[in-house]
Amino acid sequence: MTQYVLKRLAGLVPTLFAIGVLVFLFVHLLPGDPARLAAGPDATPETVALVRKDLGLDRPIAQQFVRFADGALHWNFGRSLSTKRAVAEEIAERFMPTFWLTVWSMAWSVVFGMAIGIASAVWRNRWPDRLGMTLAVSGISFPAFALGMVLMQVFAVDLGWVPAVGNDSWRGYVLPSLTLGAAVAAIMARFTRSSFVDILGEDFVRTARAKGLDERRVVIKHAMRNALIPVVTMMGLQFGFLLGGSIVVEKVFNWPGLGRLLVDAVDMRDYPVIQALVLLFSLEFIVINLAVDVLYGLINPAIRYR
Amino acid sequence: MKPLVRLLAVALASLAVAAPALASKDVVFAVASTFTTTDPYDANDTLSQAMAKSFYEGLFGFDRNMKLIPVLAEGYTASPDGLVYTIKLRHGVKFQDGTDFNAEAVKVNFDRVTNPDNKLKRYGLYKIIAKTEAVDDFTVRVTLKEPFSAFINDLAHPSGVMISPAALAKWGSKDIAFHPVGTGPFKFVEWRQPDYLKVEKWDGYWKKGYPKVDSITWKPVVDNNSRAALMQTGEAQFTFPVPYELAQVLKAKPDLELVAAPSIVLRYLSMNTLQKPFDDVRVREAIAYAINKEALAKVAFSGYAVPADGVVPDAVEYSVKLGPWPYDVAKAKKLLTEAGYPNGFETELWSAYNYSTAQKVAQFLQQQLQQVGIRTRITMLEAGQRVQKVESWPDPKTAPVRLYYVGWSSSTGEADWALRPLLASESWPPVLFNTAYYRNDQVDADIKGALATTDKVEKAKLYRDAQERIWKDAPWAPLVTEELLSAHNRRLTGVYVMPDASFNFTDIDLR
Amino acid sequence: MGSSILRSATDDAASGERVRTPWSEFSRKFRRQKVAVAAGVFVVLLVVVAVAAPWIVPYNAETYFDYDALNAPPSLAHLFGVDSLGRDIFSRILMGARISLAAGFISVAAGAVIGTLLGLVAGYYEGWADRIVMRICDVLFAFPGILLAIGIVAILGGGMANVIAAVAIFSVPTFARLVRGNTLGLKHLTFVEAARSLGASDRTIVLRHILPGTISAVVVYFSLRIGTSIITAASLSFLGMGAQPPTPEWGAMLDAARSDMLVAPHEAIFPALAIFLTVLAFNLLGDGLRDALDPKIERV
Repeated sequence: MTQYVLKRLAGLVPTLFAIGVLVFLFVHLLPGDPARLAAGPDATPETVALVRKDLGLDRPIAQQFVRFADGALHWNFGRSLSTKRAVAEEIAERFMPTFWLTVWSMAWSVVFGMAIGIASAVWRNRWPDRLGMTLAVSGISFPAFALGMVLMQVFAVDLGWVPAVGNDSWRGYVLPSLTLGAAVAAIMARFTRSSFVDILGEDFVRTARAKGLDERRVVIKHAMRNALIPVVTMMGLQFGFLLGGSIVVEKVFNWPGLGRLLVDAVDMRDYPVIQALVLLFSLEFIVINLAVDVLYGLINPAIRYR
Repeated sequence: MKPLVRLLAVALASLAVAAPALASKDVVFAVASTFTTTDPYDANDTLSQAMAKSFYEGLFGFDRNMKLIPVLAEGYTASPDGLVYTIKLRHGVKFQDGTDFNAEAVKVNFDRVTNPDNKLKRYGLYKIIAKTEAVDDFTVRVTLKEPFSAFINDLAHPSGVMISPAALAKWGSKDIAFHPVGTGPFKFVEWRQPDYLKVEKWDGYWKKGYPKVDSITWKPVVDNNSRAALMQTGEAQFTFPVPYELAQVLKAKPDLELVAAPSIVLRYLSMNTLQKPFDDVRVREAIAYAINKEALAKVAFSGYAVPADGVVPDAVEYSVKLGPWPYDVAKAKKLLTEAGYPNGFETELWSAYNYSTAQKVAQFLQQQLQQVGIRTRITMLEAGQRVQKVESWPDPKTAPVRLYYVGWSSSTGEADWALRPLLASESWPPVLFNTAYYRNDQVDADIKGALATTDKVEKAKLYRDAQERIWKDAPWAPLVTEELLSAHNRRLTGVYVMPDASFNFTDIDLR
Repeated sequence: MGSSILRSATDDAASGERVRTPWSEFSRKFRRQKVAVAAGVFVVLLVVVAVAAPWIVPYNAETYFDYDALNAPPSLAHLFGVDSLGRDIFSRILMGARISLAAGFISVAAGAVIGTLLGLVAGYYEGWADRIVMRICDVLFAFPGILLAIGIVAILGGGMANVIAAVAIFSVPTFARLVRGNTLGLKHLTFVEAARSLGASDRTIVLRHILPGTISAVVVYFSLRIGTSIITAASLSFLGMGAQPPTPEWGAMLDAARSDMLVAPHEAIFPALAIFLTVLAFNLLGDGLRDALDPKIERV
C-alpha cells in the first residue's frame, strides 16, 4: 500500500507536466488575441503592438512555453495580463474566500445530509425516509443558479435578513453556502442512506442485533463506523469539486473566489492566470483522487494495488 | 405571521445598515465589473477611468452634459496652424503627497504616455504630441506632430490625468497603478482586487469644502440582478448600470431614485458592404426600413432608449440630426425585390456582446428581418471570439462578418472619434472598427479635412457633409441611442452618470 | 455524482438464489416501486412530447411573436404566458423538451460508451493501460468544465451540438472510474478465473463475463447522470456558453428570464419547473432502477 501511494505520488509529476503542456496549448488555441483584448475596444494597432510586447506575447510560442514551464518549476507563474499583478498573489487572494465557502458549505451539508441519510436508512420506507429522500432528490434536481436567485430574492431583498453579497461577516456566508451546499447535502443524504442500508443488512450488524443490543447502539456503534468509510470518500470528492470554485454560485453572489477569477481570466484570455489555476485545480484533484483510491482499498480488500 | 416577519426583517436590516452610515459619511458604489487598473493611461475601460477620478484630475474635463470644462487648467490658446497649444495652469494645487502641481508635472505626465517604451494602453490617444515644454511654472506649451483639432478633447478624456511626478519617480511607471497619487478629492486607501477599492476624503483638496463625504467604497458586483438586490437591501447607495428590466422594480422602492441619463452610446447594425448582398445599397436600405426602432426601444430597453436620429449621437459635438430612419416594411420589401431578392435571403447575424439586453436585441432584429424574408442565424460573440472573428480579422476580402450588432461610445465627446474609427476607410479591421468595410472617398476627405482645421465653422460643415453622405450610403442600420440607467439612495446627492458612462461625483453628499 | 461508484459488483454476480430470468426479476421489483414507475411514465411522456413537439405546439417557438402582449401572464391563448420578446412560452417549453432531452441523452450516451470502454481496459489490464486511462481521467476531472466548454465552442463553433460534446466529455471520467472499479472487483472472481484458465481470449472475457457485470451499475448511473447533464447544459447557458438564441433551451430560457423575473415571474417559473420535473423524473427513475437491479435490497 505504501509503495502504491509512493508510486502514485511519483506519477503525479508527469501528470502535472502533461496538464501543463495541455493547458498551455489549450489557452493558445483559444480564439481571441489577449493583447487586443487587454488593449481594449478603441486601441490602435500601434497600441496593440505595444501591449503585445509588454505582455511578452510577441515571442515565439516555444520560447513562451519554456518561460512558462521554467517559471512553474520555480513556483513562479508570471504576471496576470489584465491586472499585471503576480499570478500567485492573485490566486492567493482568491483562494481563501473559496476555501471558507467550501468549508462552510461542506460543514452544514455533511451534517444535514448524513442525518437525513441515517434517519432514512433506519426508518426505511417509512415517512422520515420518504420525506428525506424527497428533499434529497429535489436538492439535486434544481440548478444552483436558480436556487441562488430565489434565496437572494427572498432572504436578502424581501426579508432583509442577510446581505445579498459580501464575505466580510458570517452573515454573508449564509446564502452562498446554502446554495452551494444544497446539492452536496442531497448527494450525502442519498449516499449515506444507501451505505447504511447495505451495512444494516450485513452479518455483523445482524449478529449485534441478535446479541440483544438495542437498536440505537447498533446503529451508532456498529453500523456507523463501517458505513462512514464510503461516505467519507464521497465527501472528499465533493470537497474537491467545490474547491475548484463554484463558478455559478460565485457569479450569482459576487463571491471573490477562484471560480470568478477563472471566468474573468478566460474572458480576458489571461493566459498565465488560466494556466496557474488549471494546474492548481489539477493538483487538488489528483491528491484527492489518490486519497479516494487508497480508501477503496480499505473498503474492499479484494482490490489489489500493483 | 407575515407582519411579524416584516417587522423583524426591518429591525434587523436597520441594525445592519443604518448603524455604520450614521457614524461617518461612507458611500458604497456598486459597479458592473472589476477594475483593470487605477492608472487611467493604462486603462481601456470607462469604469476604471471613472473610478480613478476619485483621486485623479485632468487638465480639462467634461461636465455632466459632455461640455468641455477646464479643471487643473485655466484656459488654453491654439496657434493658427493648429500645431502649438499653450495651456495656462491653475495655481495653488498640490498632489496628495505634498508635491506641487505645476508645468513640470504636466510635462512628466505627457512625456510618460508619449514614450512608447512605457507601453501604455492609451498611447494612441496621445502619440500626436511631438513635445511638451514648461514655459514657466504655470504655462505649458504642447507641440503636435500634425494639426489635430480634437486635441483638447483628448486631454479632457478621462485618461488624461495628472499623476504626482514624485510618486511616479518613487514607484515607477508600472507600479504606480498600485499606489495612485493625484490631485483629486479622495486619497487611495486600499484595493482588494476582486472585492472592493476604497478611497477616503483628502483634506488638502484645492476646492475648499469638498469632498463632502468621508469615503467611497467602489464595489464591483458583476451580476445584474445581484447589483440591483444590493441597492434594495441598502448595502450600496449608488449603482450603475441598472438593468433595463429592473427599472420598474427599483422605481417602486420609496427610498431609491432611478435616473435615466442621455448617453453618447449609439447602437447600430453594421453590414459588410464588400459582400453580397450587402454591397447593394437597396438591400442595406431595406434592412434599415425593416426594423421598427420604437418597438426595439420598448422590447429590449424597456423604453429607456430613443431611436437613433443620425450616425453620431446628439450629445457629441458636431453631430447632425438626420433621422430617425422610418419603419416601413412595404418599402423594405419593394427595395429587396428591386435588388433581386423578392424572397429575401439567408445570412449571419452576430452580436458583439452576449449579455441579456444584447440577446434581446439580436432576437428582436431576427424577428424583424424575418418579416421581410431575411432569415438570420444568430451568434452571440464572446469577447475572444469577437476579437478573432471581427476585430482582428486580417483580410477584409474574406471577413466572415455580415450583419453585426454593436455599439460605440464616442468617449472624447467629439465627432472625430465617432466617425473616423467606425467609418473611415483607413479604419477597416484589423486597424480599427469599420466593420461595415465602408469606403466613401468624400467622407474620408471630410474627416481628414476636419482634423486639420481649427476653424469651428469649417469643421461643422465638413462633419455635416460626412454624416449626410454616410446616412445616404447606409452602411449601418442605425438603431437606438440608449439611456444610462442608474439608481441611488435618496439620501445620496451629487452623483451623476455622464453621457460617456463615466461618473461625475464632485458634489457627492450623503444626508 | 452517482452513489454507485463504490458498490462492488461482487454481489450482483453472487445472487442466484431463485431461478428467475434476470428480466422478469427486474420488472417484478421495478413495478413494485410506484414512484419510480410514475417517473418512468413521465419520462416516456416527455419523450413523446419531444418527438411530437413540432406538430403539437400552438405557435412557432422561434418565429411567432406579439409585441402587444409582452410579458403577458398565463391565459387561455398562451397557457404559460408570453415572454419578453412576445413569444409563447408553452410552445417554447415543448420544443425545449427536444433540446434538453437530446442534450441529456446524447451526451451521457457518448460519455458512457467511451467511459465504459476506457474503464474496462483500465480495470482488466491494470498496469500501464490503467495508469494512462486514470491519468486521462485525472486530467479530465481536473480540467475546469467551463474552460473545456469554451475551448470546444471555440474549436467547433457555437451552438447546442458543442454543448453536448462538452457535457459528454464531463461524463467520460466518471463512467471510466465506475466501470474500472467494478472490473477490478469482478476479474478476480472464480468464474472469470475459470474462463481464463479455459483459455478464453481477453476479448471474450471482457465482453462476455465482465461487461455484463458492470452493466447494471452503468444503467443506474446513466439515468442519474442524465439529470446532471441537463443541469450542466442549463448552467452553461446561464454562463452564456450554451445554446444560441433563439433556441428554446430551458437553461437559456431561464437565464433570459432572470432579468424579467420580478416583473414577469412566469417567464422563469415554467422553464425552472420544466428542468426540475425532468431532472427529478430521471433521478427517481434511476433510484428505482438501482433498487430493482440491486439484489441486495431483498435481503434486508
